[in-house]
Amino acid sequence: MMSHSSLHARGRDVLGLCCLPGECVLQRAVLVRKKLSAKEGGGWLSGTLFCTHFRVAFVPQDSQKPDDNADPVLLGDHDVALASIEKVVAVGPSRTKLVTPTCSLKFTPEELVLYCRDLRVLCFLFDRLTPDTQAVEITYTIAKTYQPLKPGTILSFQNAALGSIEMKQFLSNRRRDPSMNWLECSLGWEQELERTGASGWRVSSVNDRFEMSTSLPRFNVVPQRVLDTELKKTFAHFNEGRIPRWCWRHPRGSDLLRMASFQNNIYHEKDDIRNLELVLFGGQQLCVIVDLGEEMPSPADIQLAHTRLRTLCLGDISSSVSVPDDKWLSTLESTRWLDYTRCCLRKAAEVCCLLRAGHMTVVLQEPEDRDMNCVVCSLVQVMCDPHCRTVAGFQGLVQKEWITAGHKFLSRINYHRESDKEEAPVFLLFLDCVWQLWAQYPARFQLTEDYLLALHDSVHLPLFSSFLANSQRERCRRSQHLPQSYTPVNGLRDVPMSVPEEPVDPPFPPVWDWALQYSSQRRARFTQPISQPTCPPPVLNGNLNTNLERSWHNDGLPGSVFLLSRSTFSHPSNLLPWRSSNSGSYWKSHRRAPSSESLSGLERLIRACSLSEPSENNTILHDPYEPLLPLLLGPCVRVWRSCYLRGALHAQAFSHPVSSCTQHPVDQLAWEVQQLREKLAQASNRRPENQIKHQEARRPESNLNQNANNGTFLFSSSRVSQQQQQQAPSSRGAAQSSAPPRPQRTASDPPRPAQRNSGKHTFLFGHQQEPQSGQRYIPSPSAKLHKRPGNSQ
Amino acid sequence: MLSLGSGGAKSSKPSFVSYVTPEEIKLEKDPQKKEKHPDLLPGEVVFCSANPILKYTQDDLSQRGVFGTLLCTNFRVAFISDDAPQEEMSKTFKNKLYGENDIPLMCVDHIYGVYDEKRKLITGGLVKNKCPSKMIIHCKDLRVFQFCLTFSKEEDAKRIFQGIAHHCLEEKSLKCVFAFSYLRSTNPDHGKSSRKCITRLDSKSEMLRKREAIMFDSPEDWTQEMKRTKAQCRLVTENENFELSQRLPQYFVIPSALGDLFNYQGKGLPIWCWSHHSGCALFKASFPSMTQEDGDFQSHLDTMITAVARNYLYSVKTEDLSESLPTLQDIQQSYNKFKQYFLIDNTTDFWLSDVKWFSSLESSGWLDIIRQCLQKAVEVVECLEKDNTNVLITEEEGTDLCCVISSLAQIMLDPYYRTLMGFQSLVQKEWVAGCHAFLDRCNHLHQKDKECHSPVFLLFLECVWQLVQQHSPAFQFSETYLTVLSDSVHVPIFSTFLFNSAHHRESVMKAESPIAQSRPLSCPTVWDWSVQFDSKAQNFFFNPLYSEKVKHERTVRRPHKHKHQRQLSLPSSAFKTPTKKGFFKDETDSLKKMLRVKRISRWMGSPDSPVVASKEFYESWQQRPLDYHGLLLPSLDGPSVRVWMQRYLRWIPEVHIMGGGSVAIMTKLMELLSQVEDLKRVLEQRDPSLATQPDHPPPLHHRLPSFGSSGRLSSSFPFTYSRNRSFKPIIPTGLMQSLMVADNLANQEDETS
Repeated sequence: MMSHSSLHARGRDVLGLCCLPGECVLQRAVLVRKKLSAKEGGGWLSGTLFCTHFRVAFVPQDSQKPDDNADPVLLGDHDVALASIEKVVAVGPSRTKLVTPTCSLKFTPEELVLYCRDLRVLCFLFDRLTPDTQAVEITYTIAKTYQPLKPGTILSFQNAALGSIEMKQFLSNRRRDPSMNWLECSLGWEQELERTGASGWRVSSVNDRFEMSTSLPRFNVVPQRVLDTELKKTFAHFNEGRIPRWCWRHPRGSDLLRMASFQNNIYHEKDDIRNLELVLFGGQQLCVIVDLGEEMPSPADIQLAHTRLRTLCLGDISSSVSVPDDKWLSTLESTRWLDYTRCCLRKAAEVCCLLRAGHMTVVLQEPEDRDMNCVVCSLVQVMCDPHCRTVAGFQGLVQKEWITAGHKFLSRINYHRESDKEEAPVFLLFLDCVWQLWAQYPARFQLTEDYLLALHDSVHLPLFSSFLANSQRERCRRSQHLPQSYTPVNGLRDVPMSVPEEPVDPPFPPVWDWALQYSSQRRARFTQPISQPTCPPPVLNGNLNTNLERSWHNDGLPGSVFLLSRSTFSHPSNLLPWRSSNSGSYWKSHRRAPSSESLSGLERLIRACSLSEPSENNTILHDPYEPLLPLLLGPCVRVWRSCYLRGALHAQAFSHPVSSCTQHPVDQLAWEVQQLREKLAQASNRRPENQIKHQEARRPESNLNQNANNGTFLFSSSRVSQQQQQQAPSSRGAAQSSAPPRPQRTASDPPRPAQRNSGKHTFLFGHQQEPQSGQRYIPSPSAKLHKRPGNSQ
Repeated sequence: MLSLGSGGAKSSKPSFVSYVTPEEIKLEKDPQKKEKHPDLLPGEVVFCSANPILKYTQDDLSQRGVFGTLLCTNFRVAFISDDAPQEEMSKTFKNKLYGENDIPLMCVDHIYGVYDEKRKLITGGLVKNKCPSKMIIHCKDLRVFQFCLTFSKEEDAKRIFQGIAHHCLEEKSLKCVFAFSYLRSTNPDHGKSSRKCITRLDSKSEMLRKREAIMFDSPEDWTQEMKRTKAQCRLVTENENFELSQRLPQYFVIPSALGDLFNYQGKGLPIWCWSHHSGCALFKASFPSMTQEDGDFQSHLDTMITAVARNYLYSVKTEDLSESLPTLQDIQQSYNKFKQYFLIDNTTDFWLSDVKWFSSLESSGWLDIIRQCLQKAVEVVECLEKDNTNVLITEEEGTDLCCVISSLAQIMLDPYYRTLMGFQSLVQKEWVAGCHAFLDRCNHLHQKDKECHSPVFLLFLECVWQLVQQHSPAFQFSETYLTVLSDSVHVPIFSTFLFNSAHHRESVMKAESPIAQSRPLSCPTVWDWSVQFDSKAQNFFFNPLYSEKVKHERTVRRPHKHKHQRQLSLPSSAFKTPTKKGFFKDETDSLKKMLRVKRISRWMGSPDSPVVASKEFYESWQQRPLDYHGLLLPSLDGPSVRVWMQRYLRWIPEVHIMGGGSVAIMTKLMELLSQVEDLKRVLEQRDPSLATQPDHPPPLHHRLPSFGSSGRLSSSFPFTYSRNRSFKPIIPTGLMQSLMVADNLANQEDETS
């Protein structure tokens, strides 16, 4: 087998498979047809099926010859990585069989069905002209190689994918995406502080060597007034040393924090208490602790629900029982997956409403601070912060609240099948929640369903450093081998060049390197063809700054703490363990909330929140900071069809050649707009004398915002438009003058992938694009018009 | 006031047949209450009114409301708010006949009275009792109104309550339906029959000009339809005066092989519905159940079936729908159960229902009935398209489920019926001319006899909605259109839904006509949408994404050349003998295998059940590229049959997504479209040579609905707008307030008030 592959060890296979460096073709079968899903256009595609060390690849017959010089893409559009295969089923003339490495096939398969862990189902049909041996052999080969059950197989898989020298070199030369915030260095956190306009907080590097807490990130944001030496004492008071850390600031001045549960059996010294309070309250007077421990689903619940959902959607092939159509809905309900989605969204919506009230710290507390805290904390930000609804912002968010914050990806995803008890698709639950938001407010997101789907699928691929560790510490240790001594100075730290020559240890790329996984056509669909309506940067509500000043003064006073649990506020005396002795005197009267409000109180608050929006001034219709509050009632929480049902047999068998023929009308129109613009630009180039007139004609449409902003803000127009384009024009205006724009900041503008994918809908709205050029030269009318065609050609 | 059709708008003095006492009419004349009256329609008369009545705003837990006057007229129950007339916000989708606080009497479904905190269904007996403190009206279009009666004088309250209950719930005669008094006042010139003929002709020609629908009330319409489908059948005109049968239309089409065999009141007579271009055709007939051992009758039916068979290739397949589909009572019960989940008068209940949402929907069985109907229609389509046999669908009456199945099959097969005009013609052909008993099924007269009520037409619309949902670009009309159509059934003005059969209509109209010898009154049909909506609002009926049939476009947009691309409609042999010699094995084989393996449970019992067969058919259809102007089949599996959100959820504010939902996409689309238009115009100005683009995709839009640019649209647009009611947030008091520093609280109020 290996000898066969050595023929094609380098470069392209004769039949068109573009191998990765070092990839070996183990087996191939000709004249195979692949059944296409509805998303891919439906119908059939004939070509050649390959099985390599790393993937099952399918090359369509008449596919274009790939460019040999192009960067390697791990998986082609029709490929599936071996590691994401879960089951191999061979369908014979009269029977089906689950193929395992040890079993023997007694028939020639006519059809090969691959069930994947990411809920895809791939179906290949062998033709009569396919040599029988090829059909049998490739089935065996896939069955033997796919099993990722042991750590060894994972390792060999990773090596197959990334282990070759060329690949390692290639990976080490890759630049990180500069447009997103990686939050791996203190600079990233400072940027985040600046972006959200949070003052009174600083980045502490006290955990730089993971001495204080092994699971916390290197850098944590804590109140400015707590010195590192004081801070060190607080770690012991929290489970795993996960102290309250700042995550985000709401534009109305509330701060969002997260922490683990308190260590109870510890003596609180007086100094400690002061620091603990400081850490908890930031600069605010109020602190609401949101308890996520009890009401949220436990990881085990989530795992069970997900398993049930899988069974429902994929059918259980071994027992060949599927849910009858008329019982589908109740079965769906009984999986409880949607309940859990609803639960997370509800909690996040509650927190959003709390934050909206302003001037408090909202602290999410979970015993471990590594699962539900991640979900809720990031959902809150997706709801409230438009920046987090762009691709770059969302990636930064996942980086901030999941990857560096120490979500136990490795255990939860359970690549190695070592931690079956710990396995739980918490991250997938989060993605589902984001999808629910997206489905309800599609126009408010820059990222698309395709993006969420891509992220969903890459979770099942054990290749990305983002998901291959349980904490930042492990990640650093892995990539550097010298965790204790080396401190990166800047954020653009590349994976070190000198990886030791152990073949078992390839460098892992981050998941955000999408070019590694997906072709540019796929990536073009990650963002909406139409950019969001330009929301004017919010007029900084004055109360933010003034009130902030005010609350700075009363530092001596111990703030009040409330517990939000089961949608009620309460003030249990033992909420803060160090206060338990002397508490209760202040707030005795408010011991319990009236029971009548207990259930729907916050729901009413939420509704009130959403209802009050339209009545606000008409000009701020799209106040970007109004939270997107999801609707959570029965009819509103839906199944993520294109994810869970794409592989389902019925969905698959019933795939129709629809989408290949017809783009989504929005895409089509966007394309049309682009065409027209190009034509227009051509025309204007040809007849420059008309230009002025035309510019006048377009001005009202495109430049209105800028003009308006110039009136409001005392910035130069380029500055404003840059901010405008950022879509998360944080309420940082006051700080603006003091902070000189840094190169990183300008680079962190969300990528309208102008240069990268010149093909599709990139230049829809001139005024959206202009700022990019505007950074370099003032956008004079004529410059604009020339700029556009120049870019797109 | 409206100006309607030929009649002009002078509302003459009421000349209707009424059972209201003169005192009640006098009440209307009361001068000080005059200004409280709504814009009355011609012929509309106020029976009683009461003031002040508190109307609860529905989404409010705190039982907040609006004060106003409640009136009951012979057309509607109307509530007029005391507040200053609301600024006509961007209400582009306003019904001209009744406002958002009006309930046409026919639209009232149930009335509940709240007596001492207990909700009781009002029936005839309870009306006489004491007046309830609160009246809850459930409408057939799923609105819920709650009126508090305690603020007005007791006798007023009692009178209005009894009046409403009486007019809404009591059985009444067809003559009292508002349509007739409306007609008389819109046709004041009934004395001159000659002029009337002209106006009738005018309206007819106007209708033709506007191409609203083919009415199928003349032989020409039928001939034209036969010509269009290339049918080889015979038009029967002998029933012009209903001498043959009263249950048959005036004109209908039968197989040409059938001689003059009009016995048995037309029972068993196969009525032609539609012809497939291969020559086979779809027929429907009323077949009484075979219990009677009448040899003659049996042979009569045999002759009928033979006649159908001889239409094409001597093949026929009969399908008795009453055997395989749920009965009318099942449909009624299931729908009653289903709609309860959307009639919400207590929001807290609704909040609590979400956990059991899916299973409760399922337990009503409504979605399953929809699935069964679609399934049956697919089977019929299969016989026509694949086997090329004639199909005769039968039923006891031949006018209920037969209509559903035959219309569905025609929509799936014939792209013409997916245009607005075609769809309206189809309803006219199969339902109105086809003698569906609208009056009985919709229970317009509030008859106590429960046997014959059944939302069959709604069921049909539901099925169409499923198709629209799954293949939206194939349909020229929009979801909104279907919703409005389902509402219009309960507006007692249109002749379309008011009668049990053609004969019924003719006789009633003749009897109602003031001069017996003159031609019958002409009633507006529902297809004259200008009666209800202005042209701007009518734009919402059109699907902007409808892909109109453009030949070249299809070749451009299809990159994949599928090996197995077949002709749109296959020669009859193509399906019967699958080609085994091809390069690839026949894919249906392997698919069948796979399906059998996977979903074996479904047809374990009967491996050759029709489900399997139609699955196969479905599969083979699937492999062809989808053509929106060809055969269209629905997907029927569990996740595919969905709830008609727009119809059922539009009045429930809790589930409206502000600035979200599909409307958001639509607005975006409209923005883009207008941008395209702008750009094109600019381009044309600049350089006319560039304006025509060879590769330019055809315009997507048919007619653009105008979305209000300002204001955020909720997902239930256009039925409800962004809620701009002043709404004070109910912040959990107590602790939450103490949480807030005083000035924060002030801010909060500023923002939300």
